[in-house]
Amino acid sequence: MSGFWSTVFNADFVFAIFRITAPILFAALGAIIAEKAGVTNIGLDGMMSISALFGTLISYWTQSWLVGVLGAVLVGMILGLMMGFFALRLRTDIILTGIAMNMLGGGGTIFLLYMFTGLRGNTSSLSSPNILIPTLNIPVLKDIPVLGSIFSGHSVLTYLAFILVFVVRFMLNRTSTGLNIRAVGENSDAARSVGISVKRVQYIALIMSGALAGFGGAFMSMYYSQSWNVGMIAGRGFIALAAEAMGRSQPVGAMFSSLIFGFAQALETRVSGIQGVSSFLVAAIPYLVTIIGLVVFVWSSRRKADKRRRQISTSDWE
Amino acid sequence: MYKRRMVAFNILRGLAAIILALAVAAIFIFLASDEPFEALKQLLIAPLVSFRGETAAFNVQSLYQILALMIPTMFTGLGVCVMFSADMFNLGGEGAVMAGGFVAALIGIYLPMPAGVHPVVAVLVGALVGGLVTLIPALLRVKVGASEMVSSLMFNYVVMYIIMHYLNNVFADRSKGSTQSFPFIETVKIPQLVTGGSRLTYGFLIALVFVVITAIFMYRTRWGYQIRMIGINSNFAKYSGMSVASTLILAQFIGGLLSGMGGAIEVLGRYNTFLWKELPGYGWTGITIAILARNNPAFVPFAAFFLAYLDRGCQLMSTHSDVPSEMIAIIQASIFLFFAAEQFLSGARQKLVVKNAKDELAAMEAETAQEGK
Repeated sequence: MSGFWSTVFNADFVFAIFRITAPILFAALGAIIAEKAGVTNIGLDGMMSISALFGTLISYWTQSWLVGVLGAVLVGMILGLMMGFFALRLRTDIILTGIAMNMLGGGGTIFLLYMFTGLRGNTSSLSSPNILIPTLNIPVLKDIPVLGSIFSGHSVLTYLAFILVFVVRFMLNRTSTGLNIRAVGENSDAARSVGISVKRVQYIALIMSGALAGFGGAFMSMYYSQSWNVGMIAGRGFIALAAEAMGRSQPVGAMFSSLIFGFAQALETRVSGIQGVSSFLVAAIPYLVTIIGLVVFVWSSRRKADKRRRQISTSDWE
Repeated sequence: MYKRRMVAFNILRGLAAIILALAVAAIFIFLASDEPFEALKQLLIAPLVSFRGETAAFNVQSLYQILALMIPTMFTGLGVCVMFSADMFNLGGEGAVMAGGFVAALIGIYLPMPAGVHPVVAVLVGALVGGLVTLIPALLRVKVGASEMVSSLMFNYVVMYIIMHYLNNVFADRSKGSTQSFPFIETVKIPQLVTGGSRLTYGFLIALVFVVITAIFMYRTRWGYQIRMIGINSNFAKYSGMSVASTLILAQFIGGLLSGMGGAIEVLGRYNTFLWKELPGYGWTGITIAILARNNPAFVPFAAFFLAYLDRGCQLMSTHSDVPSEMIAIIQASIFLFFAAEQFLSGARQKLVVKNAKDELAAMEAETAQEGK
């Protein structure tokens, strides 16, 4: 049994948690920005898949990982603009717009890949080490035992994901764009009455959401799996939505809930290698954790709200 | 007069959305293919017409195949109509289809029963399991307040992996090269409606019967009325004394019931063993169908036929030309987006309203002028 614990829980395992959390975190931040502006983006999964594909293709064409990542982000932004066009201009329901985006991310990407390259289903024949996202060895930190092997040597985008948590928090709380986004999401009529262009703000939010999905997609195809294949996103965009809900639309909260899913998924990859454990049941764990987490957090926040209401009403009596 | 004009306008608008979506598809085909005209012919004409040299003939076997493709999607389409009518975005239809199909398959393999009774029991139990799959997200929403959309999406994956576990580790037929169950007992199979390899079974007729039943339920019963009323205005429904929570749960349960039934009938009609290795995708197609049918069960067969036709067209296109069959995803997404767009052709609609108002005004003026004489 002690062998089990030491193969599962060690510095490599913690390293894996951060690696697995990063793409979910990107998408969860995207979900937060959209949700705050009152445009629930359930198309994140499809956005990630499409931008992941273009990240790989563009890095292959230009032989530069940086251009590839920026290309993926740009594609994500275009997809956000597209969602905005249908949801805000043509007034298609935002949920249905998101579902359509996910359809494009499923079968549509296979078609696009074929259209651009003639390949079917995956891009492994295009990949080479020089167009993958590089890893970063942090000086000093990398030489510290345990901590070094946990926090050093991650990909550039892994660090970026965690930095963006605080950037997004700052943007939402301290900038006028963020203020407008929150005003529109909380009460669009009130926002309109003080002269904020609701549609414009929602467009901006969807485009930012798309950019973050683009980072997540690039991370998946240009680092995590080292090439693009259909189904590689495997519901991470949906898990990100759950992380957003669990983190109550707060960047730091979403970071912790993303880490919980990262933990569950890292556990899955570890445990499924062990004899006698059903890899299928283990594969279900992250999704099950998502549901349980969502329920627990919504339930507890509801109870807190109830309690507060009760306190207010009793203080009225006094 | 006004009402008739608006109905005509809405039909034209729907057609315009479909044509626009097909135009988008055509653009992609021209970009992707070396033989775009052959590809378009396969997509649009070949599903019903076969070409042998110079002569074209109506292809009845292909029609049967299209009708066979409609069987599971009519059920999921009906299920989504009921679930979305209550204004709940339960996306668990996908999991319900797979669970219903799997449980029906198990009954078909391990529980011998007399012919006639066997498929009925298997399909009903499959439906019940499907209902449970969509019931859980609904309960979580109503009792706890957790988003039914997120939990149903997650639940689909949980259902899929649990089924894959049992299929691989408990019920697998090890003598076969690929992962599949043992073959069904003959008595459980749903009989073919026509000869040939089309797999058009009596399930098609059952689906049509359920179209009628669901339409009656939604438009002629108290529960159907309550479901639709909650979808339109849940506050109104609540204050007029309807039990919103239990009606919502009922709607989601029925939606899963129909989806599970579709899965069971598809598995027992099309295959000899259970061999789905991932979510089959009929749940998503069901959503597109419900959008096209505007949540009205009576329109479901037409929407299902249209999508099945395109599906068959895409299959033929990928066999006989160089365009991959996944084209269907792009067509579906475009239809989806344009068809559901409220403001699509809103300019034309505005003109219609203005013209109508002017006509009425002119008629009124003419009347008063006559009275004045």
